[in-house]
Amino acid sequence: MSGVGVIANVEPSLTPSRDSARWPTVSAWTILKWAIALCAVVVAIFPIWWMVNVVFAHPGEPVSINPRLYPTSLTAGLEKIRMILAETDYLRAYYTSLAYSLLTIAGVLLIGSMAAFEFALFEFPGKRVMFAVVMVSLMVPTAVTIVPTYLLTAKLGWLNTMQGLVVPGLASAFGLFMLIQFMKSLPREMLEAARLDGATHFQLYLYFALPLSRNALVTLAILTFMRTWGNFTWPLIVAPNPEIYTVGQVVGLFNSPFSHQTVDVVMTANLLAALPPLIFFLIFQRKIVEGIAMSGSKG
Amino acid sequence: MAQLDIVHVSKAFGDAEVLRDINLQISSGEFVVFVGPSGCGKSTLLRIISGLEELSRGEIRLDGQLINGIDPAKRGVAMVFQSYALYPHMTAFDNMGFSLKLARSPKRTIAQKVANAAGILRLEKLLERRPGALSGGQKQRVAIGRAIVREPKVFLFDEPLSNLDAELRVQMRAELTQLHGRLKTTMIYVTHDQVEAMTLADKMVVMNGGVVQQCGRPLEIYDDPDNMFVAGFIGSPRMNFLKAAVIDVAPDNVTVEGPGVGRLTLAFRDFPAGTGQVAIGIRPQRIGLLGAREGAIANRLELSPTLTFAEELGDVTYLHGDLPGGERLVLRTLDGHYSGGRQLTAVADAASILLFDETGRRIRPTI
Repeated sequence: MSGVGVIANVEPSLTPSRDSARWPTVSAWTILKWAIALCAVVVAIFPIWWMVNVVFAHPGEPVSINPRLYPTSLTAGLEKIRMILAETDYLRAYYTSLAYSLLTIAGVLLIGSMAAFEFALFEFPGKRVMFAVVMVSLMVPTAVTIVPTYLLTAKLGWLNTMQGLVVPGLASAFGLFMLIQFMKSLPREMLEAARLDGATHFQLYLYFALPLSRNALVTLAILTFMRTWGNFTWPLIVAPNPEIYTVGQVVGLFNSPFSHQTVDVVMTANLLAALPPLIFFLIFQRKIVEGIAMSGSKG
Repeated sequence: MAQLDIVHVSKAFGDAEVLRDINLQISSGEFVVFVGPSGCGKSTLLRIISGLEELSRGEIRLDGQLINGIDPAKRGVAMVFQSYALYPHMTAFDNMGFSLKLARSPKRTIAQKVANAAGILRLEKLLERRPGALSGGQKQRVAIGRAIVREPKVFLFDEPLSNLDAELRVQMRAELTQLHGRLKTTMIYVTHDQVEAMTLADKMVVMNGGVVQQCGRPLEIYDDPDNMFVAGFIGSPRMNFLKAAVIDVAPDNVTVEGPGVGRLTLAFRDFPAGTGQVAIGIRPQRIGLLGAREGAIANRLELSPTLTFAEELGDVTYLHGDLPGGERLVLRTLDGHYSGGRQLTAVADAASILLFDETGRRIRPTI
């Protein structure tokens, strides 16, 4: 039998097509999906990009007859940042916001972890009722509690003080719930082994519950930071004195109709306010997603 | 070295009584094994001794001193858990030295005691590793080392080998036996594995339903069980139990008849009158095929099971069969495989037969 005869007998479907190997087919549906996704990306990123564009450009250049969609002047941007930090109280507001966030994080982690340790691992009278009350509080909107909380804070003489800003936000029901779910997974036998080794109740918390809950605590710290840095309503109500303005309040002043600031300066103030949470999110985005998932799914 | 006395100990969780009137005396330096099926109360009893669980009634005394209300860390006991319960964020060294650190021992003392324990358990090169970087056997040795460092009066082991593979279990059993020989400390070991119990124990405590069924040396319990539960639980494969009715009782013998055994007269001094039904117990190891044992037994019991299943294990074969009347029988041949027919003729030495009454209690002849 000749070689030519053998080739002629081969089934056509077994012969690979050269064209299909080089050019994979692209369906209209794939193109449509990608187009929608790109539109969503542009809508999400463009405001931030525009902010950067306006800040790092000469005033008016982005919206001039010859508009630019990219930053054109690093020095102009840096000069605006320098002016805002040096000639306004923005830097003090930064320190206030930083202190507010860090103190809130420390308090939420300390109180939340201690409470979660007890709820997750021990039985005590009234445990179920207390837990139910805390969880029900999650369903009460802030708008309902903000006025009574303000009145209480005022009565304590804590208006325009750091404790007035921080203390009402220390009991986080969400944080407690998240930590309880995590600490429930700590092995009981390990705690029993620690008891046999001589650990007191507090030492169980300090040497085991805390170190082994590090992931959950870091996640809660991140979520608490995101919440407090961007918190506008509570500082506005409880700290009207400019000496204790937070970044949110100062940016509000820049944004107000009476600020007499040009758009590029206002944008600079907003960019400086958005920068810490932006950097935070870029570094910790995986933990943030895990934290949101953990709070919803761990049982 | 310490003597442990468990006196009238009971424990209930709500209405469920998990331990009922337990009385045990554990001599100093003894290796005692609590063995029984899951849920029999052996782990609960161990936890009560450790102080991790409170008893409902009774007393526990260590060297004569009542330890009922004493904190677990101050009782002079150390426990090795089934899941090792190592601290995952600490190194092996820190795990073993943690109790001393809590007691504010000087660092030099901690280092010395940990090094001693590590030397006994061959852990010197693993001390800087965390539990996540250790194998199952290594983790178990670190857990044992953590207990040794505390220099307890009593070691408590709660099924420590359950999570290990079969080969490692055999190896660890040998190591535990050597450790006991070296330290000579009282050890209480809980397991559901009767092979582990038989090989490790100086004294075995067989438990079921929260009650001590029998207490004694392993071979005593194997050869002379007190009741059907102990006879069936200890020994693998399980003892065969065949029902029979008592036909005739004489001063030196008793005649029984059952669907599986037929009519059988057994030498028995002073068989108790009024016993209507008995269970005949024979271990599979005491029954062989007729060809292999013919002529070797004077007073023998012949049985005719129909083969249902052959367990060929390489060195022995266990043959499972059904007797007339539907009762199951297991017998052993010393051949690695079986190639005969389905109808078997089995032979057992009547002297190896044990009798149990209707309540499951052992009927023993008077000596």
